[in-house]
Amino acid sequence: MHGSSHLLNWILWMPFIGVLGNLLIPGSKKNAIRYWSLINTAITFILTLVLYKNFDTSVAGMQEAYNFSIPWIKQFNIFYTVGVDGISLPMIILTGLLFFLCILSSWTVEKSVKGYFSLFLFLQASVFGVFLSLDFFLFYVFWEVMLIPMFFLIGIWGGENKEYAAVKFFLYTFFGSILMLVGMVALYYAKGKGVDAFNILALSGGQFTDLKLSMFGSEFSFDKLFFVFMFIGFAIKVPVFPFHTWLPHAHVQAPTAVSVILAGVLLKMGTYGFLRIAYPIFPSASVYFADAIAWLGLVNVIYGAFCAMAQTDVKKLVAYSSVSHMGFVMLGLAAMTTQGMNGAVLQMFNHGTSTAMMFLLIGILYERSHHRYIVRPDGSKGFGGLYTQLPKFSIVFIIAMFASMGLPGLSGFISEALIFLGIYERYTTITVLALIGLLLGAAYLLWMFKRMFFGDVIEECKSYTDMNAREIAYMLPLCVAVIVFGIYPAPILNMMKASVGSLVKLLGTY
Amino acid sequence: MAMKYLVSLGHYVPELLACLTMFGLILVEAAQEKGAKSKPLVGATAFLGLIATFVILCLNLSKPGVSIFTNSIVIDSFGTFIKIIMVLGTLGAIYIANQSNDIYQGLKSEFSIMAVGVLVGGMLLTSANNMLLLYIGLETLSILSYVMASLKKNDERSGEAGLKYSLYGGISAGIMLFGMSHIFGVLGTINFSEMAPLLAEISGDKALILIPSFLLFFVGLGYKIACVPFHMWSPDVYEGSPLPVTTFFSIVPKLAGMAVIARLTMVLFNNSGIVSVSWLGALSVIAALTMTIGNISAIGQRSVKRMLAYSSIGHAGVMLLGIVVVSEIGLRSLLFYGFTYLFMTLVAFYIVSFVNDKYGNDHFERFSGLINKHPIMAISMIIVMFSLAGIPPLSGFVAKFNIFSAVIAKKYYVLALVAGINSVISLYYYMKIVRLMVFKTSESDELIGGLTLRNQIIIGALTVPVVTLGIFWEKVIGVVTSATLMIQ
Repeated sequence: MHGSSHLLNWILWMPFIGVLGNLLIPGSKKNAIRYWSLINTAITFILTLVLYKNFDTSVAGMQEAYNFSIPWIKQFNIFYTVGVDGISLPMIILTGLLFFLCILSSWTVEKSVKGYFSLFLFLQASVFGVFLSLDFFLFYVFWEVMLIPMFFLIGIWGGENKEYAAVKFFLYTFFGSILMLVGMVALYYAKGKGVDAFNILALSGGQFTDLKLSMFGSEFSFDKLFFVFMFIGFAIKVPVFPFHTWLPHAHVQAPTAVSVILAGVLLKMGTYGFLRIAYPIFPSASVYFADAIAWLGLVNVIYGAFCAMAQTDVKKLVAYSSVSHMGFVMLGLAAMTTQGMNGAVLQMFNHGTSTAMMFLLIGILYERSHHRYIVRPDGSKGFGGLYTQLPKFSIVFIIAMFASMGLPGLSGFISEALIFLGIYERYTTITVLALIGLLLGAAYLLWMFKRMFFGDVIEECKSYTDMNAREIAYMLPLCVAVIVFGIYPAPILNMMKASVGSLVKLLGTY
Repeated sequence: MAMKYLVSLGHYVPELLACLTMFGLILVEAAQEKGAKSKPLVGATAFLGLIATFVILCLNLSKPGVSIFTNSIVIDSFGTFIKIIMVLGTLGAIYIANQSNDIYQGLKSEFSIMAVGVLVGGMLLTSANNMLLLYIGLETLSILSYVMASLKKNDERSGEAGLKYSLYGGISAGIMLFGMSHIFGVLGTINFSEMAPLLAEISGDKALILIPSFLLFFVGLGYKIACVPFHMWSPDVYEGSPLPVTTFFSIVPKLAGMAVIARLTMVLFNNSGIVSVSWLGALSVIAALTMTIGNISAIGQRSVKRMLAYSSIGHAGVMLLGIVVVSEIGLRSLLFYGFTYLFMTLVAFYIVSFVNDKYGNDHFERFSGLINKHPIMAISMIIVMFSLAGIPPLSGFVAKFNIFSAVIAKKYYVLALVAGINSVISLYYYMKIVRLMVFKTSESDELIGGLTLRNQIIIGALTVPVVTLGIFWEKVIGVVTSATLMIQ
């Protein structure tokens, strides 16, 4: 099934070309490295837009024109297969956009520039790999490869407790992946080792529903057992409640751009895994466990919000708000209705843009203040009166905050509304409780805003300068995205409609 | 009759060549001037002999299996592949020994002689088809190993290592002989292929004697591959021995032991008799314990060499999984694992050897900030550490993936899960070195001497297969798939 276009290959391998280029430029030429990386990500982003332009929104499955498959390891029937559908396309565009903007925001990185930008582009390639792979083995390889650049990016360029954060992140995710690996190989044998035994699409459709396996003398349902394995693998990445403890550390210690990518793109890989692998391959088990997923999502929403409220470090606050917002995605996924799923995918995109804004803004602030305390450990104010001191910064911050809060007219509202519409009929109690989470979200964000931006300008803040042209340049596209998709979300909804619809239809039969 | 033996000898060329190399080495060494600073001829002889052996082994790889010397030795492509790995491992260890200060200048040629001797024993062990030859091979391998462990004469710990090794070795060999004599008493034969049909039908009282006898038999082999609970000697011996010897120990004797366990299991226990069930049950428990205890013990180590020793116990456990499944695909994954493990071990120990020579010890702190001082070395070490932990797209991952698929094909999900969780544990301590090398700053700016361009190129070149075998492993899988173990 050779497609007519190599566009996906170009998107996937373009960042690798960037890495190779970076390695050829001598390390002392820092600006050359920065501009090369910027041009490289810009080209990649344009390629993703070309993909969007040529995308046929009426097709539910993979886009025929972009399917590309060549054999990799014949003995195991492993293929290099890439493809794109309505669920992965928003993620691909988001990845292209955020990495491009993050290169701009990383302009001020001075510590071994060559290593930083090379690892960053390497990370981009592996993220694209995850979103584009249709071969389970290939997917797994990219899923794991991504850990290596992340480990070094957090560990070398991070804050004071960076090592702990990097190690915890690595170990946690690796643990989840191992469960996934066992599930993957089990699927390979259950499918009979044939040419399509690693093909995600061929595995989909619920063919393992009635399969049983016996262990220790008792019988287990194949799909339920391995759904749980996959679930833990993906849930660690999302992160779903009991597996979330790596996230605050990783976020707080990571450099700004890496936090943006972590919250904006990497967390979505977890929920993308549900949509691409766990749900389609084990639909009956997904329906069976829907209640549990919904409750876990609710815990995420409420618990994340309460944790966020207690934070004195503004970056940690945003990190916990991510936990809370990813809870909404989980709720949408548990709904298994058209609105709910659409809302979940839309929320994945919208959370990507709004959280990216928050992290970028905190990064901008940190470059001026070199601390992130809302309240210092000794009880004094860390920031005060930023609104009068930094007007442009404050306006962008307000947009980001309201978008993340879900104010009507901005992007977060539509996706959350869709999720609530989708889930209401099935889980009324959970819906009502989750609404409290929404309220809490408004509370911690506004409270944080009040403490940092209002009141008298404290002495320290008087030396801060407002955003410069470069900073405005990378904030502007995100502001536009948040506002435009808040008023007119149709472009993204149209993109995914057909694909999400077919998934909901599949789940509906169980 | 004489003709038959001559034909047999024709199949036995690699072993004979290795023997010849050993004798050649002794003669060349004796011909050298006494007290000569360097003995280039000795090194050259060793390399020539081993490379010739390697070439002939490679040529033999595609030949069908035969049994020779009145069915006491089996030459098949499985054994040949293991021998190839062992020859390469010996070559690497001899090269490291020539570079390292850990082997006294005057004893470098002795190291080569004994290493080749151990190799000969290992080759015999790999293809033994009766208990007596198995025992002879094992002892050839062991006795020379004891001497190698105490090669650093003036160092107390090296002497201790040698003594410990020989005491443990002697006791376990005795226990093994005890088991063998019972097996012979019950079955009336020492030949494995003759034992196989008898074993399948055995039951009742005879089985009651045979099960413990085989477990006693296993003690000798389990000691050689250092699996739990016979692993106690290995960390001390690995730490006390000079570094090149440790490198050698973690490749050659280990793989020879694996090969013989694989052969025994495939030939004797490929049936559903009661003895087989017990053997496989015991083996799977031992495999799981070996992995877990090896990896958990590795976490707390201060010396990198000792850490690698414990981690090699962990790897032995994973390799055992390839045997537990008693299938072609299991053997294939074992061979692939051994092949990738060879390169990873060589690079890791080679790098530790430089650090050890520089600072006199190999504690973890010595690796701090290595990336700024010696980037090629540090990057190779990072790659190898991640590969040992099983992170894709490196060869260690592919090796583990193969073992996983062999285990899951038999539906042993619990074993697969145990192996997986062990990977996570091992990642933690492998990461410790990476962390120190990359995130910490070094204690001093002093460079490590002796790290010439040539050595850096060799490190880099040995790292290349670690990466490429993780991405383009189709060819190697093709080769190991065609390597079969002969069952008569």
